[in-house]
Amino acid sequence: MWRFVGGRGAQYLLVLCLTVVLNFALPRMMPGSPMVFLAGEDVGFLTPEQRAQLEALYGLDQPQWRQFATYVGNLARGQLGYSFQRGRPIGEIVRERLPWTLGLVGTSLVLATVIGVVLGAVSAWRRGSAFDLGTLGTAVFFESVPSFWLGMIFIAIFAAHLRWFPIFGAGTAGVAFEGWRLVVDRARHLALPLATLTLITAPGMLLVMRYAMLGVLGEPYIATARAKGVPEGRVLRRHAVRNALLPVATVFMLNLGFVVSGATVVETVFSYPGLGRLLYEAVLNRDYPVLQSTFFVITVSVIVANAAADLLYPLLDPRVRRR
Amino acid sequence: MRTAVGVVLGAVLAVSAVLPAAGQSAALRMAITRDEGALNPYTYQTGYPGWNLMTLIYEPLFTPDADNIPQPWLVRRYAVSPDGRTWTLVLHPNIRWHDGRPFTADDVKFTYEYVRRQPHARWTGQVRAIESIETSGPTGLTIRLSAPSSAFAAQPLADLPILPRHLWEAVANPRQFNDVVGSGPYRLAEMRDGQFYRLVANDQYFAGRPKVRELVLPIIRDATVTFTALRAGEIDTAVRPLAPEVVAEFERTAGIRVARGAGYASTILQFNLEHPVLREPKLRQAMAHAINTRLMVRLLLLGYGAVGSPGYIHPGSPFYNPAVTFAASKSRAVQLLNELDYVDRNGDGVRDLPDGTALRFTLLTLAGNPVRVRGADLIRTWLRDVGIDVRVVAQEDASIIAQVWPDFDVCKGRRFDMAVFGWSAPVMNRLTVLRDLFHSDCRQGTLNIGGYRNPTLDRLGADLAAAVDPVRQKQILFEMQRIVAADLPVHTLFYQDGIYAYRADRHAAWVYQKGQGIVNKLSFIDPPRR
Repeated sequence: MWRFVGGRGAQYLLVLCLTVVLNFALPRMMPGSPMVFLAGEDVGFLTPEQRAQLEALYGLDQPQWRQFATYVGNLARGQLGYSFQRGRPIGEIVRERLPWTLGLVGTSLVLATVIGVVLGAVSAWRRGSAFDLGTLGTAVFFESVPSFWLGMIFIAIFAAHLRWFPIFGAGTAGVAFEGWRLVVDRARHLALPLATLTLITAPGMLLVMRYAMLGVLGEPYIATARAKGVPEGRVLRRHAVRNALLPVATVFMLNLGFVVSGATVVETVFSYPGLGRLLYEAVLNRDYPVLQSTFFVITVSVIVANAAADLLYPLLDPRVRRR
Repeated sequence: MRTAVGVVLGAVLAVSAVLPAAGQSAALRMAITRDEGALNPYTYQTGYPGWNLMTLIYEPLFTPDADNIPQPWLVRRYAVSPDGRTWTLVLHPNIRWHDGRPFTADDVKFTYEYVRRQPHARWTGQVRAIESIETSGPTGLTIRLSAPSSAFAAQPLADLPILPRHLWEAVANPRQFNDVVGSGPYRLAEMRDGQFYRLVANDQYFAGRPKVRELVLPIIRDATVTFTALRAGEIDTAVRPLAPEVVAEFERTAGIRVARGAGYASTILQFNLEHPVLREPKLRQAMAHAINTRLMVRLLLLGYGAVGSPGYIHPGSPFYNPAVTFAASKSRAVQLLNELDYVDRNGDGVRDLPDGTALRFTLLTLAGNPVRVRGADLIRTWLRDVGIDVRVVAQEDASIIAQVWPDFDVCKGRRFDMAVFGWSAPVMNRLTVLRDLFHSDCRQGTLNIGGYRNPTLDRLGADLAAAVDPVRQKQILFEMQRIVAADLPVHTLFYQDGIYAYRADRHAAWVYQKGQGIVNKLSFIDPPRR
């Protein structure tokens, strides 16, 4: 057991080191310099001396290895540094953005999984029926629809036309609600991005569940259960679904790690203040420190989710238990 | 006419928890497109609307009026010495910082020295010519310049916002300082990263009560969503200009009005003047003759724009030289090319130089900008018609900058043939715009991305920078436009109009600032009485 933990730990450490290097190198390999964003649109009016002075202020005049050393040193002390663009500590920005992203992407992952499991199981159980074909068709449709398009359609129908939900944002801008009105306001703003994200995530879950179910339903123990006279509902729930859940659990855990990375497109369409949008804007602005740090946070959470999956899996599946 | 009726009506109709004072609109929701830092002079992000919003909180001594002419604002009286080197200013008394401390000449002196110390792309250069600043009492200032400067009233006086000395004195890294105590008609009440800003009227403001009680600025990234929200009444206006295609629809929408005016942002065909073939002025003229800019304005902007002036300056600018004109003619283009002896020598349909080199160029254009991409395609078609082969390459901004303007430093040279490029509105507002764009010394012609060289223009540029007499300034600028139009280092294609939609029942006292738009101080407060 400990050898297993040690081995895996070393693996994760290696992955972490690699990503620290990549997080530093990749943003700097993009064409374009952060100068224009540091200096604003008036960058053209700077003299070379002023430009150099400004670069020095951000440490951009240092050789790459020195910048890298500073970055690693800061990380080791648990400091994510300052955003070029926002002039604020990145830790603070991430802490502000994280709850929005967790609320949106986390909730949608859970919802999508539940919907996917239920519909996938029923679909497989009634393979070839009108229900199965309908579900499958719908799933393939939403799987292939671009999320920004779906979001736009939702805004046009449910927000602009029917006025059921607000068009943008995570809360009514500039209005301080309290108590239940705050909850209602937040929920109303969450509804459309959540629906969009869930509808594009659920089909994947559904398809995995459906195929796993189909595999399980062909197993001899299902035939045995039926032959013993176990009621159909019980065969479905106890014998089939339980065993078919394993691949879904794997996909769920894989997705869990990426919850932190947010949903860039949906967050942008709905002007939702999540981490995905932060990341996207940092790319546009060549905000190296924000890129480095958010990618680092995402890597860590993916690794943690993987580690959790490794530890949980033996509990879910006795076959991979080690003695 | 400032429609006081509309303001009062807006105030009555507005649904808000805060009851506005008489003559004041209640809360106004104006969508912006991105974060603007802490909205202080070192953290705001964009030239428009960032600077305009920031100067509602931190104010420069002067303010550009609706025609972009700098007018005294915090300054009650001023005088310039005959040699143009000494400016004497007297501030309004009773100006206060948002924290209640008095605003004095000392703060001004501090700020002008601070931006020299702490490099700022916009302001450090503007104060370079200042030799000394002396204060006399809390409201008196004498600024001495090392040389007369024609642009001093515009920059820094009407551009550089004053910082409160008592809060900024000890700040060593202003880009990580997020304080927002200013002296302006609005103070920042709330700021949510990635969500919104909330500005509240400063009722103690020395020039009177602002016209809008509260400004809420939600951040909406997507253009379509912005205009959907405006149509649905979730916002009252947006800083984003309307696309030409939707203007007619918005004009028909009940409750929404559209403000339209000259836009000073330009779209140009930029030549690389160091290119061995493109350095020939007659060839550039031939190309310009082949391009139908009038039709471009009709096709690309649906008429919402002005045809480019060959001297670069917008026809709406007070410095525009109306004698400088250009009438494109395809037959003239053909004639010029024939005169140069650029004829098709190998029968492939493309003209060749006498040495056999084909007239073949690459035209860069910005991939994310449909107007520029389609414009580049039109240019390709029209040049093809006269036997010039152009390959259009659409790339993202950073890649184009890397070729046209490496590191934003024209001293670092260039590697491109031609580009559909453009400059933002503030460039046009600079008195020295033609020196900035075309001076051969890369430290003066900081925007001379084509590497243009002309000793006469250089000399005029130097004269202009030192000219303090408005009549003389105009004379020089007229002459410079004549030279640019004859030589065509760039071919100015068009200027897109600024078109803004707003809900008139929420706030109607908008002032359209020429070349720029409706987001400016004058839309929210009347100038102080002297």
